Amino acid sequence: MTEKLTLVSHVDAINWNRIQDDKDVEVWNRLTSNFWLPEKVPISGDIQSWNTLTPEEQTLTMRVFTGLTLLDTIQGTVGAVSLIPDALTPHEEAVYTNIAFMESVHAKSYSSIFSTLCSTKEIDEAFRWSTENQNLQRKAQIVLDYYHGDDPLKRKVASTLLESFLFYSGFYLPMHWSSRAKLTNTADMIRLIIRDEAVHGYYIGYKYQKGLEKETPERREELKEYTFNLLYDLYENEVQYTHDLYDGVGLAEDVKKFLHYNANKALMNLGYEALFPSTVTDVSPAILSALSPNADENHDFFSGSGSSYVIGKHEETTDDDWDF
Amino acid sequence: MIEKPRTGMDYHSLNAMLNLYDTEGNIQFDKDREAAREYFLQHVNQNTVFFHSLKERLDYLVEKNYYEPEVLAQYDFAFIQQLHDRAYGKKFRFPTFLGAFKYYTSYTLKTFDGQRYLERYEDRVVMVSLALAAGDEELATSLVDEIIAGRFQPATPTFLNAGKAQRGEFVSCFLLRIEDNMESIGRSINSALQLSKRGGGVALSLSNIRESGAPIKHIENQSSGIIPVMKLLEDSFTYANQLGARQGAGAVYLSAHHPDIMKFMDTKRENADEKIRIKTLSLGIVVPDITFDLARKNEEMYLFSPYDVERVYGVPFGDISITEKYYEMVDDSRIRKTKISARSFFQTVAELQFESGYPYIVFEDTVNRANPVKGRINMSNLCSEILQVNTPSVFNDDLTYEETGKDISCNLGSMNIALAMDGGDLSKTVEIAVRGLTAVSTQSSIDSVPSIKYGNDRAHAIGLGQMNLHGYLGRERIHYGSEEGIDFTNIYFYTVLFHAIAASNRIAKEQGTAFEGFEDSKYASGEFFDKYTDQEWVPATSRVEQLFADAGITIPTQEDWRELKAEVQKHGIFNQNLQAVPPTGSISYINNSTSSIHPIASKIEIRKEGKLGRVYYPAPFMDNDNLEYFKDAYEIGPEKVIDTYAAATQHVDQGLSLTLFFPDTATTRDINKAQIYAWRKGIKTIYYIRIRQLALEGTEVDGCVSCML
Repeated sequence: MTEKLTLVSHVDAINWNRIQDDKDVEVWNRLTSNFWLPEKVPISGDIQSWNTLTPEEQTLTMRVFTGLTLLDTIQGTVGAVSLIPDALTPHEEAVYTNIAFMESVHAKSYSSIFSTLCSTKEIDEAFRWSTENQNLQRKAQIVLDYYHGDDPLKRKVASTLLESFLFYSGFYLPMHWSSRAKLTNTADMIRLIIRDEAVHGYYIGYKYQKGLEKETPERREELKEYTFNLLYDLYENEVQYTHDLYDGVGLAEDVKKFLHYNANKALMNLGYEALFPSTVTDVSPAILSALSPNADENHDFFSGSGSSYVIGKHEETTDDDWDF
Repeated sequence: MIEKPRTGMDYHSLNAMLNLYDTEGNIQFDKDREAAREYFLQHVNQNTVFFHSLKERLDYLVEKNYYEPEVLAQYDFAFIQQLHDRAYGKKFRFPTFLGAFKYYTSYTLKTFDGQRYLERYEDRVVMVSLALAAGDEELATSLVDEIIAGRFQPATPTFLNAGKAQRGEFVSCFLLRIEDNMESIGRSINSALQLSKRGGGVALSLSNIRESGAPIKHIENQSSGIIPVMKLLEDSFTYANQLGARQGAGAVYLSAHHPDIMKFMDTKRENADEKIRIKTLSLGIVVPDITFDLARKNEEMYLFSPYDVERVYGVPFGDISITEKYYEMVDDSRIRKTKISARSFFQTVAELQFESGYPYIVFEDTVNRANPVKGRINMSNLCSEILQVNTPSVFNDDLTYEETGKDISCNLGSMNIALAMDGGDLSKTVEIAVRGLTAVSTQSSIDSVPSIKYGNDRAHAIGLGQMNLHGYLGRERIHYGSEEGIDFTNIYFYTVLFHAIAASNRIAKEQGTAFEGFEDSKYASGEFFDKYTDQEWVPATSRVEQLFADAGITIPTQEDWRELKAEVQKHGIFNQNLQAVPPTGSISYINNSTSSIHPIASKIEIRKEGKLGRVYYPAPFMDNDNLEYFKDAYEIGPEKVIDTYAAATQHVDQGLSLTLFFPDTATTRDINKAQIYAWRKGIKTIYYIRIRQLALEGTEVDGCVSCML
């Protein structure tokens, strides 16, 4: 990366008391109240469970996580940052800085899973695989190219597809393990990540649709065609990547359904109709239910900390409250 | 390798379909029943060891060291065979996938390699009954009847362990005091390890330990306070687990007026430093009435040095009533003190509860006013339902006991309210339950912690709990927290109390002895019975009157109470404590109940546990026609939950685990208001605070049941 990052040339003091788009505040509030750090999840509770996985399953799991680490690194250091110069409102810029930071938190949380469950040698092996796997590298390159391109809306499309589509070939596995009672604390952490990514993809897609409103019909047509072309490109590559990863355990077909499901979701976030018919998006219900980003999971004191964590709003009590 | 379904859908997927609506928008209850069936066909039946006869099975299990021969030796084989046939004759079936899955994953006896099952549900029930009845054929038969019918369900440690040769203890809960010296602290850590190893949660009181900065051997600023002790305990619990079956779990309690109280709570902060961050240890605070009073007047609250208090009063800090001595201690210059704003203290509590669900709260003065036994209650347990008196131990230099104090253990078991009502003989169900729980106490001997053994041998405390209240009310089309709902709760608990005391009284007559200290109790003085003999307790609504009449259950009259009072005053009761309503996690799934007397947390509950992963559980008795009576706890709101608990609390000698549920739009003030309301309504303890956050509109999973409000 030799070219310089384009910075915003003019900045006014951000005034949160003058809101142009309510969505900015809503999403900011949601993201900040969802804030979390990997240290909160007791991954060490999964060590026993990790040891029940076969060596192939362990390797698969590590590879999946190195792949996710790469995507989160891209999104944290380039993706979310590259969206800042095109922001429509100052509050949108602020939201992107939050997104960028959380992506870095995500990237770090995979490392904390690794360091808890595996040896340094195994970790290095997995990272080596990730730099050598062509399909993974190609996926990263496609996205990076669009981030470096000069069309702000296309950057948003790339970003939304990354947030809402590309992550999910990786997310499948921890959800699968969790529905089979394995690595459940790890799954909790991944669910926190999914909770964040769901909001990120939704928000960037929303901003894309806002941007689209200002464009001519011809340009809109161009962007739509561009979106679908990019999705096809990524999809083909993703199918290859899925086979690389999951053929050994016989899950590739089910993961593909999951890809279709999430591709549709990404298109929905961008305001487009679904691409894949429902016959090829019938993801295993165990995975779909495991995905629910809601904080309604019930667990007792013998289990982990769960994926339901929110920071509260402070409000002082008044004399009336204490009138007894 | 990864399990692949043989034909069609596997049971995990079928179960997960509970959480997805069908095309007509109905909840797919049938898919869950199918999941339970498939689980047996695809998994259980193929992995169960087959025996030709009961004789062959028992001989094998004893010979291979799976069953305790002593349990079986107490009976004729003919009787065991007959009991076995009786249990199988009831044709028990698990109504939900989670119930079956949980039973086979966590309870049933397995081969030592963990690969194959050696018991079906009926076998476990028979073995538990034989073990508890200790040779009494009539009791064994009654226990089988009550358990297999689902009216009574022993708590996990008993149901899991009874009759097995390789096992932990039957007792659910342990509570230990820590005194302000290194011998006691060291002993406590050892006890935490020993008790965790044997199963059951352990709670410890830290209130007596001197604050950080307090002197050691008169040298100022030496003590590092309670945080390092918490760290040691947390690591101890993580290390010891019950044969891997359950992770060790612990709680610590601290007085609100201990100088380290803010540090104590800050250990649960999301951004706390790793050195002080407490992840898995549960926290509880003990709050006296005076704290509320100070907050009402918006004054500062003083925190008192336990080190100085013990020197001035000659008793540990935890044994002092702060409400009583507050102003005296404020004026005493020998006691070092600091102050914080009482209202900001409560706000901090609410903030922490928002972030972490902790701390639990014990309303100390409410608890002690309701305590019928002589002595002081200064802490609770891991689920905040055990409330008993304790006394300190004194150690010699070699860590032996100079004076053995009384620490607390409690054997729990719960009745299924719906099935107990259906059974029509509440008196018998309660009696068998009390006898089953008493057996756990008399058969337990925790030698590794002498203060626990000492306490148990003298108190024989039990905790009879209740579950499935919401399931019952829903089935009867009564709204949780409605006038009729509260009325039912009141009369039901009233009736159970009567039968529980009567049963304990019968045991005292048979044994020829009451619990130690009975003479000093309010049972002996008769004071306990005043509210039942002076006042008439009858249903306030015709609906509830009808429910009891239809079930054929008579409600005790004032005359019944007068007779019982006379019997109790003459012969005593065997158990120092009788009731405690636990949160009932696992056992309520096996028993097909809603947890405790809570409202359901969700129509379809997403359950996550280490051994299970994500599993979905439908509210018992709910169907697509009566959904409106199964509103979840967030919709019902804290007030109705508190009102329901208040109705039950007045008839329960110990506590009831009370969780409060809020939507994420709530603020710390809403939580504070609920705490104030609970305290005013005479609630004894508050367990977790749960916050539910709904997915941002546009990001939820389509057609997902638990995503809907």
